[in-house]
Amino acid sequence: MHNLLLSASVFAIVATSTALPALSQTPPATEPAPQPTDQPTAPTQAPSETPATGSPSLERSPAAMPAGEETAEAATGQQTDQGNRAPRPQPEIGADWPFWGGDAQATRYSPLDQITRDNVDQLERAFIYRTGDMPTGSAEGKYAAETTPLKIGDQLVMCSAKNILIAIDAATGEENWRYDPQVSNDAIPYSASCRGVSAYTAPGLPDDAQCKTRVIEGTLDARLIAVDLRTGQPCADFGENGQVDLWQNIGEKVPGWYAVTAPPAIVRGVVVTGAQVKDGQAEDAPSGVIRGFDAVTGAFLWAWDLGRPGEHGQPPEGETYTRGTPNMWTTATADEKLGLVYLPMGNSSVDYYGSNRSELENQWATGLVALNALTGEPVWDFQTVYNDVWDYDLGSQATLLDFPTGEGETTPAILLPSKQGDIYILDRATGEPLTPVGEIETPQDPSVEPDYISDVQPTSEWHTLRKDELVEKDMWGFTPIDQLWCRIQFRRAGYQGFYTPPTADQRWIQYPGYNGGSDWGSVAVDTDRNIIVANYNDVPNYNRLIPREEADEMGLRPINEQPQGGEAGENADVGGAEGAGDPQAGAPYAIDVNAGWRNDVTGVPCTRPPYGGIRAIDLNTGETLWDTPIGTARRNGPFGIPSMLPFKIGTPNNGGSVVTAGGLIFIAAATDNLFRAIDIETGETVWQDVLPAGGQANPISYEVDGQQYVLIAATGHHFMETPIGDYIIAYRLPE
Amino acid sequence: MANHRADTLRLRGSDHLRGGGWWIFAIILAIVLSLFGLALFVGGVWLIFLGGSWYYALAGAGLLMTAWLLITSPGDALPVYGLVWMATVIWAFWEVGTDWWAQVPRLVAPTVVLVLILPTAIALGSRSKR
Repeated sequence: MHNLLLSASVFAIVATSTALPALSQTPPATEPAPQPTDQPTAPTQAPSETPATGSPSLERSPAAMPAGEETAEAATGQQTDQGNRAPRPQPEIGADWPFWGGDAQATRYSPLDQITRDNVDQLERAFIYRTGDMPTGSAEGKYAAETTPLKIGDQLVMCSAKNILIAIDAATGEENWRYDPQVSNDAIPYSASCRGVSAYTAPGLPDDAQCKTRVIEGTLDARLIAVDLRTGQPCADFGENGQVDLWQNIGEKVPGWYAVTAPPAIVRGVVVTGAQVKDGQAEDAPSGVIRGFDAVTGAFLWAWDLGRPGEHGQPPEGETYTRGTPNMWTTATADEKLGLVYLPMGNSSVDYYGSNRSELENQWATGLVALNALTGEPVWDFQTVYNDVWDYDLGSQATLLDFPTGEGETTPAILLPSKQGDIYILDRATGEPLTPVGEIETPQDPSVEPDYISDVQPTSEWHTLRKDELVEKDMWGFTPIDQLWCRIQFRRAGYQGFYTPPTADQRWIQYPGYNGGSDWGSVAVDTDRNIIVANYNDVPNYNRLIPREEADEMGLRPINEQPQGGEAGENADVGGAEGAGDPQAGAPYAIDVNAGWRNDVTGVPCTRPPYGGIRAIDLNTGETLWDTPIGTARRNGPFGIPSMLPFKIGTPNNGGSVVTAGGLIFIAAATDNLFRAIDIETGETVWQDVLPAGGQANPISYEVDGQQYVLIAATGHHFMETPIGDYIIAYRLPE
Repeated sequence: MANHRADTLRLRGSDHLRGGGWWIFAIILAIVLSLFGLALFVGGVWLIFLGGSWYYALAGAGLLMTAWLLITSPGDALPVYGLVWMATVIWAFWEVGTDWWAQVPRLVAPTVVLVLILPTAIALGSRSKR
């Protein structure tokens, strides 16, 4: 009966202050006050830079230029730096949707109010645009575009699943231009995703200059690409013909191991990007290094390689950035005023085994890290898991807000959702929590590495989306027989509640699973009504560590040891779940994840619905205003047969929401392919439309000629098992 | 389908054929129920040994008994299964209340079985009384 042990009474709540061991290593960066001469700027670093080993088109990088040219570059570089490094006013949200997260604060809150609960039922499709980017060949079963466009001026700009940059007319959907960087299928890591692009207007360039405003994306094959917003032509001044190769200093180039899927953050003219390092391959994996590049020249400015504290240049010749370190695959948040960039860090490359990790990896993994965006020096860190062996990467973009701290006072704050469902609010200058953070004692045994598992873990005492621990009666199925089978599995598995340690001799239940809580869709914050809108998953994973010998017999091999274009035996992850047979080379165990804990025969989940919900939270108090399942059963059923049932069941969901001043939440995300409007006051769905493919993307709202539009990409998601499409669909009221 | 066929046969007014149709149906039903019952009983005993719910073993035993009675004494199959079904409903509401999605695996299949047993047992039961 040990599964019932961890009742709330067992949780020892420790004082808030002890929960923050990693805080404030360096003084608060209220005044980063960058001096260009102090910075390791690209030109002075350039001589040590080794040419890219990769793509032929990038061989002649600026670094490889002759000395004479380099000096000239240095001079102009310095000049541009001085022009760009001061904080600048950021584009406003309203008619435009200028940032991936809506506004510079990433609130996903649009001040538009033309569409309201009273007229939303009249919404009609304004246009459907099709990107034309659909999977072919080996990309089949790997598409999850997760597209969210920007809207700037009269254009929408976006990237497709395989990084084709596209601009269309925001009112008609007519294509203005496209630029195809020709990403090959073998560059697809787990999914072909390009969540978005970033735009930057260079203050130092004349208004009519090429790339005055440029669109910047990171690609699956690890390039930064900059094109002119007006024409789509590559920016001649950026890197080598509009490209910077991110494979530089990463090591052996293995396509698909190191890929960018999120839009970069741009702070004071510095483009900051991490990359997705494909999970669970090997301890000797590409580095999780975060790098800053000049937004105008593409020149390398700094690196934050957590394995080399204090060093921000490129590694010495013949070396690489520290291998296997925690990476940031999701979207960072730029803080133009403080000159910081907030990085939601993931875990080390091998997620489910930690004893071989360095102390530095343990220190920085699965935390929100504030970096000085001008130097790459960490300013503060807030860790959400100690010694993470559950793949609880921080997936959500953090949101900047002014948090009410009583008597009309507010503090510049940052809101951080986690996959465990905890919502933290931190002082963004110092990282100090503004809401109570507690510590719970967590189960220790059995574990394959008892010395590594932390005795305690932090939790938010202000708000969590996490539900009660599982009990046997939560097991589900379609008949008593499959339900019984799940109950037997529940009793046989190791489960001691939240943070049950991984085991090899038996399955263990991880709840919540790695899909969240909150994932990359992030939360929306209505800053007028002071309401946080959070959609979330509520699904366990059913896992087992696989001893190395058994993994070898299964043919599990890391990506760099697989035959070119081949896959790792029958456990290859084409269309499969992340972690469903990941080799974790270097560790004594591979990992097998049954994501969502599905019955192996029927495919029906072993736990009862709902599997996902959406919740409104009072920003002033942290209290739940309403909470309701999201997603109907229409597309779900046993053996993959759609039940056609129109009832709300609460499906897994992936993708976020947009909240409008009209009092509506627009969200798709669920696996029922419905795009819906929810009344923010009541949680009631007041309008919905059937999408032609899965809506696993963040919607946006914008205005053209006085008309409000709402837009969603119906591009589908292989892991969420929704139909793949290439549709960009805009809605508006009849004229 | 079986009901439809039975109605057609009844129109012909042949008692013998009507009973034969129900007998074939009863045998098929009894085989299916005994398979389900066996799975529930064996799995349910395993679950008891794992420290879990006793419901499945008991329900499995009830289904096995119902299947046996359908062949040997059809008139008694209905009251016995009726008890199993009522106990199932009480247990289901005790476990999860009005969480209707959680009731799907608990109530749907047992109620379908009730719907199948009801006319079979009545038809065969009344025939055997004559």
